Amino acid sequence: MNVDLSTFVPSSKRGLGVALVALAAMLVVPFVTTSYETGLAMTALVYLILALSWNLLAGYAGQVSLGHAAFFGLGAYVAAWVTTPGAAGFPQLPGVLAHPIVAMVLGGIGPALLALVIGPVMFRLRGHYFSIGTLALAAIIRLILTNQRSISGGSTGYYLNGGMGEVPTYLLTVVVAGIVAVATYGIVNSRLGLGMQAIHDDETAASGLGVSPLRYKMYAFVISSFFAGIAGALYALNSLYINPTSTLEVTWTVDTLVVVILGGMSTFPGPFLGTVVFMFLDNALTSIVGSLATTVEGVLIILFVIFLPTGLYGYLKRYVSQMRSDDANPPAEG
Amino acid sequence: MPSIDLIAQTAANGVLLGGIYALAALGLSLVFGIMDVVNLAHGHLLMIGGYVAIILLAMLGLSPLVGMLVAIVVLFVLGIVLERLLLDQVVDVGVEQPILVLFGVALVLQNLGQFFLGSDAQSTELGFNLPSLAFGPIQLSSSRTVTFVLAVVLVALTWLFMERTSTGHAIRATAQNRDAARYVGIDTDRIYMITMGIGSALAGAAGALLSMLFPIDPYVGWSYLLTTFAVVVLGGVGSIGGTLVGGVIIGTAENLTALFVGGSYRDVMTFAIFLVVLLVRPQGLFGTGGGGGE
Repeated sequence: MNVDLSTFVPSSKRGLGVALVALAAMLVVPFVTTSYETGLAMTALVYLILALSWNLLAGYAGQVSLGHAAFFGLGAYVAAWVTTPGAAGFPQLPGVLAHPIVAMVLGGIGPALLALVIGPVMFRLRGHYFSIGTLALAAIIRLILTNQRSISGGSTGYYLNGGMGEVPTYLLTVVVAGIVAVATYGIVNSRLGLGMQAIHDDETAASGLGVSPLRYKMYAFVISSFFAGIAGALYALNSLYINPTSTLEVTWTVDTLVVVILGGMSTFPGPFLGTVVFMFLDNALTSIVGSLATTVEGVLIILFVIFLPTGLYGYLKRYVSQMRSDDANPPAEG
Repeated sequence: MPSIDLIAQTAANGVLLGGIYALAALGLSLVFGIMDVVNLAHGHLLMIGGYVAIILLAMLGLSPLVGMLVAIVVLFVLGIVLERLLLDQVVDVGVEQPILVLFGVALVLQNLGQFFLGSDAQSTELGFNLPSLAFGPIQLSSSRTVTFVLAVVLVALTWLFMERTSTGHAIRATAQNRDAARYVGIDTDRIYMITMGIGSALAGAAGALLSMLFPIDPYVGWSYLLTTFAVVVLGGVGSIGGTLVGGVIIGTAENLTALFVGGSYRDVMTFAIFLVVLLVRPQGLFGTGGGGGE
């Protein structure tokens, strides 16, 4: 491979620098801004984790799940059941097991187990069938939880006690989002990630080369569900009140899609860029177009998928590389 | 335990409902067979069809039977516009693109419906009463009978169209082998357009018919998408007979679930059937190539 490494090293160093600065900035947010702004940053981090997890499954492994809300909502409910089992009639867990951090981890493990069990069935579905299958799965999980009022609180909802307080929860979320980001980066740049991209590009060819499509789809599905569940658990631990609508509604799936597609699907920086843009967009939309916000989001999904499939990140990258090549080859070559 | 009479009555109503499901599912199956795209907005197009009938009745006092004809025309045009404007850009590009674009379309339709028509459920009425048919303890109400008969007639007309017209032959040829169809001079772009038009029109007709039986609100789209999709999976892609049988099975199963377990579990039953079929017989009861490929 004839690659000039020098073009990569500085840029990855720069990338690391940007990441560390961003992490530090996120960590000081609660100490220098208002509680409202910290809340916005918290929401952004939840979206970021969701976006990273969906991008891994849909962007890299090519399995367009439309049921992400189910894993998010399930994670939220597991966290609620672990911290506050009494409200659902479950026995209290002993001592440290009911700690919010344990609840968060279990909030990831629950959905991951569901993915492990249901995955082999869902992956009998390919392409569009898989998308509709996941959409149906999410609808059913929502329906069941809404109807099982004794464990979900139904429309009255579920109050969690034993939160850690606003600032510690926020800081935990920053750290977890950082870990998820690093883990995702590690995955997409490893054999695992290459396997996922191989089945995305051409399943038949990949399996001919010994990459088992089912195995790599399952890796992506389980890991993605684990992260989505963690995001849900953090959401629940922060808001301390959840109900089936607030956690399992298809809106979570839609917002995640918008974040990833705006930022750049199948790219690592896409979800970060998308989250920042979406936070501004979301506020602007509700104040300008009000109840038509979903229409604008739908139109954005359509327009980006058709005209800017690599999202804003892809656009910026092309723009920058164009600038660079213009610098390198002055106008004579155009 | 409900009485035998009630069970028979519920099952009979389910069979009649299944006819309408089959009509909607035929549209979904047709588009999938030709374009390899599962129309995620199919349930929302059905919802629009229902609203066409509702608005015509409320504003002009037109019977929902006329509303159904108007819905067919409106949805045929809407389908063609969607195909030209959006799907044409993404079909054959990749798998994700059409899924995401159609998901976006569904979101837009739902939100616009909510914005312009409100979230309240509305319905239509047949407006005249034929004597209801009685078979022993089973009474078939005129609205259920009329909607069932119309649905079956529309399914039959679609079948005739596919079997007897040259456009129908061209559509079937495209479904069998797109490239070969191109080689023999079939304008597959035009076929895509017509197919999407017909697929949407069938959804619209089903929506108008359903508005006579159940209230329609802007959120029914997803639920009807799942139901019609389950019918397609059950019946097998590309089999009109299979679609009818699938519709009847799903309609009956949903109604009996509502009776025995509770109305809110209808979709759970549909989903359970869907999963079992995929596990046991992924090509469907009568189909040749379900399970997401050819």
